[in-house]
Amino acid sequence: MTQHHDTAERDYILSVLAQNNSGVLLRIAGLFSRRGYNIKSIVAAQTKDEAHSQILIVVRGDDRIVKQVDKQLSKLVEIENVSVLDDREAVVREHLLMKVARTDQNSEQLISIASVFRANILNVTADNIILELTGTPRTLDSFVECYRPYHILKILRTGTMAMEL
Amino acid sequence: MECLLEQKVDTVFGYPGGAVLNIYDALYEYQDRINHVCTAHEQGAAHAADGYARASGKTGVCIATSGPGATNLVTGIATAYMDSVPMVAITGNVNLNLLGLDSFQEVDITGITMPVTKHNFIVKKIEDLADTIRHAFRIANEGRKGPVLVDIPKDITGAVCEFTPRDVHQPFDEAQERRQHLPVSKPLPKPKETKLEAALELISKSQRPFLYGGGGVIASGCEEEFAAFAEKIDAPVATSLMCQGGYDQSSGRYMGMLGMHGTMTSAQALKNCDLFIAVGTRFSDRVLCNSKLFARHCPIIQIDIDPAEFDKQIDISVKLGGDAKEILQILLDRCQKEEHTEWMAEIAEWKSLYPLHQTPVHPGAVTPQALMETLRSLTDDQDILTTEVGQHQMWAAQFYEFRKPRTFLTSGGLGTMGYGLGAAIGAKYACPEQRVINIAGDGSFHMNCNELSTAAKYNVPIVEIVVNNEVLGMVRQWQKLFYDKRYSSTTMEKPTDYEKLAEAFGVKGYTIRKQEELEPVLREALSQDGPVLVNCVIDKDINVLPMVPAGKSAEEPLLEI
Repeated sequence: MTQHHDTAERDYILSVLAQNNSGVLLRIAGLFSRRGYNIKSIVAAQTKDEAHSQILIVVRGDDRIVKQVDKQLSKLVEIENVSVLDDREAVVREHLLMKVARTDQNSEQLISIASVFRANILNVTADNIILELTGTPRTLDSFVECYRPYHILKILRTGTMAMEL
Repeated sequence: MECLLEQKVDTVFGYPGGAVLNIYDALYEYQDRINHVCTAHEQGAAHAADGYARASGKTGVCIATSGPGATNLVTGIATAYMDSVPMVAITGNVNLNLLGLDSFQEVDITGITMPVTKHNFIVKKIEDLADTIRHAFRIANEGRKGPVLVDIPKDITGAVCEFTPRDVHQPFDEAQERRQHLPVSKPLPKPKETKLEAALELISKSQRPFLYGGGGVIASGCEEEFAAFAEKIDAPVATSLMCQGGYDQSSGRYMGMLGMHGTMTSAQALKNCDLFIAVGTRFSDRVLCNSKLFARHCPIIQIDIDPAEFDKQIDISVKLGGDAKEILQILLDRCQKEEHTEWMAEIAEWKSLYPLHQTPVHPGAVTPQALMETLRSLTDDQDILTTEVGQHQMWAAQFYEFRKPRTFLTSGGLGTMGYGLGAAIGAKYACPEQRVINIAGDGSFHMNCNELSTAAKYNVPIVEIVVNNEVLGMVRQWQKLFYDKRYSSTTMEKPTDYEKLAEAFGVKGYTIRKQEELEPVLREALSQDGPVLVNCVIDKDINVLPMVPAGKSAEEPLLEI
């Protein structure tokens, strides 16, 4: 008589409320590495009071792993709360900066893709263009895909932030 | 020092050094109130603090200097962490202005011990020192117990501030804690009513329940409730290595250990039970053997203070999070008296069919079974056995009949060779009225035999028994089975003259070579006032059996190899 866990791998967003002490990020990172959990992204954000920081971690794994991550994180004495956010009950955002090679020939196409996504153009030089977009991770993925045919020079993504509704 | 006294600390184990000079100067002043035991090596101090904690149930305290002093504690801290032993380790560090500059004897000990402590601290303001120590003791004992390290730079130990005494039972002020960046305590888990009902229903339906106890039975002090529960639901009992002594092994219900070196009776019961109830245990791989094949046919109820242990290794049907003592009391109050006459008769039959038994391979040679049973006949129920790690450890667990909690101290999780001698010294300080015997293998003995000098220096009357087969027996047993008898580096044949070595340390030495010498020599060794060493030469070709080979089911141990 065993329970049935969802064994399909997917991304889970964990929102961790921790005391804002030095070393707390190291404790979290160390826990992930020694237990072999897979961090896709980690964002440490300031909160309304400076005694706390909110850490958002995207974990790749199945249901069983994410429950273990939740419980192991909760055992760290400086962590006050861990919640697994469901993207149907939270707003999920990520920020991206991307530098794309530009020529006089493709410039208009680059700009028109940006306007479809309502991305900002932060800088333009003779040979490149720097774009900025905030959106769901999926939107950012497709934004990047649209520029694949052109020459992407550099991508920076902040990692996922999320806030429950 | 005042903080340690506040926490009712009477004995600390440690080793002095440059960065802890101020602490040792204070120890000098407090020597009439705090007993400091200086070991031969910091690792010995950590094991002694651990042995002290396991024997007494109190928090063990060890002190070491910065750098190598601190790193020498690490194995001892990790040992305590794996077995959930409450310990506070205090290390010195270099002055604040020298931190991070690769200074002499500087090491980032908080970084190093992060994965093997429940929590650790570095104190950077003298005003925070007292509360940090208080929190270290709180964390070490709260929920699932474990070690906490406090690193104190030298100038902090030299600084002066007003000490405000505080009652240990006074709750912490959360706002104050936050100002000091100290961790805020969290509520402990409580079992849900629906889960309790589900557990009670499974128990009432079960015809063949199996009750299994782990180290948590001893940690929560619920031995009586555990035994009463076994009686009430009429279940046979098996225990893990960590629960030796957590259940009276002379009871007819007792089946032995479960797992890699468990008994055939436990294995048969596991195979045939219809409900598995686990109390205070984390289902170590040494118990599960093959986790995919463990108790697949029946529901499992698990009681544990640490919810992270649920579903970690295997799927659990009913999870009861909380203190085992409280939960067992609730279950005892609410469950019906059961009778499983047929099931208990089956258990009794397996017990008589598959007793643990060793026959000497070489006639007249001492078998480990004879050693443990003779020793048992000469000791009291309250006397304490510590062990090192290997075959002798399993033989002690298998053949010495434990009846009381906190009488078997062993490194179960980390499997630390070199644990036992230090632990024995610590245990003797915790329980001076009880005899303390360390069962060592000859391999383990050589790891930390330096602590014999500590036993001699303070005249700590412990009995060190070297179970001597001149091989690293446990590793050799695996080589025999799985490496085609290629005995790589496991034949010791160290020309150590144990009696002479003991005498060099100022410890009385004995040797046993034949079966008939066992009783008289052990009797004499046990009656001495100071530390003694007994070199007990045993039959070298005896294996630890039963044995479940790697990857096989815990239901099918081998009875011979």
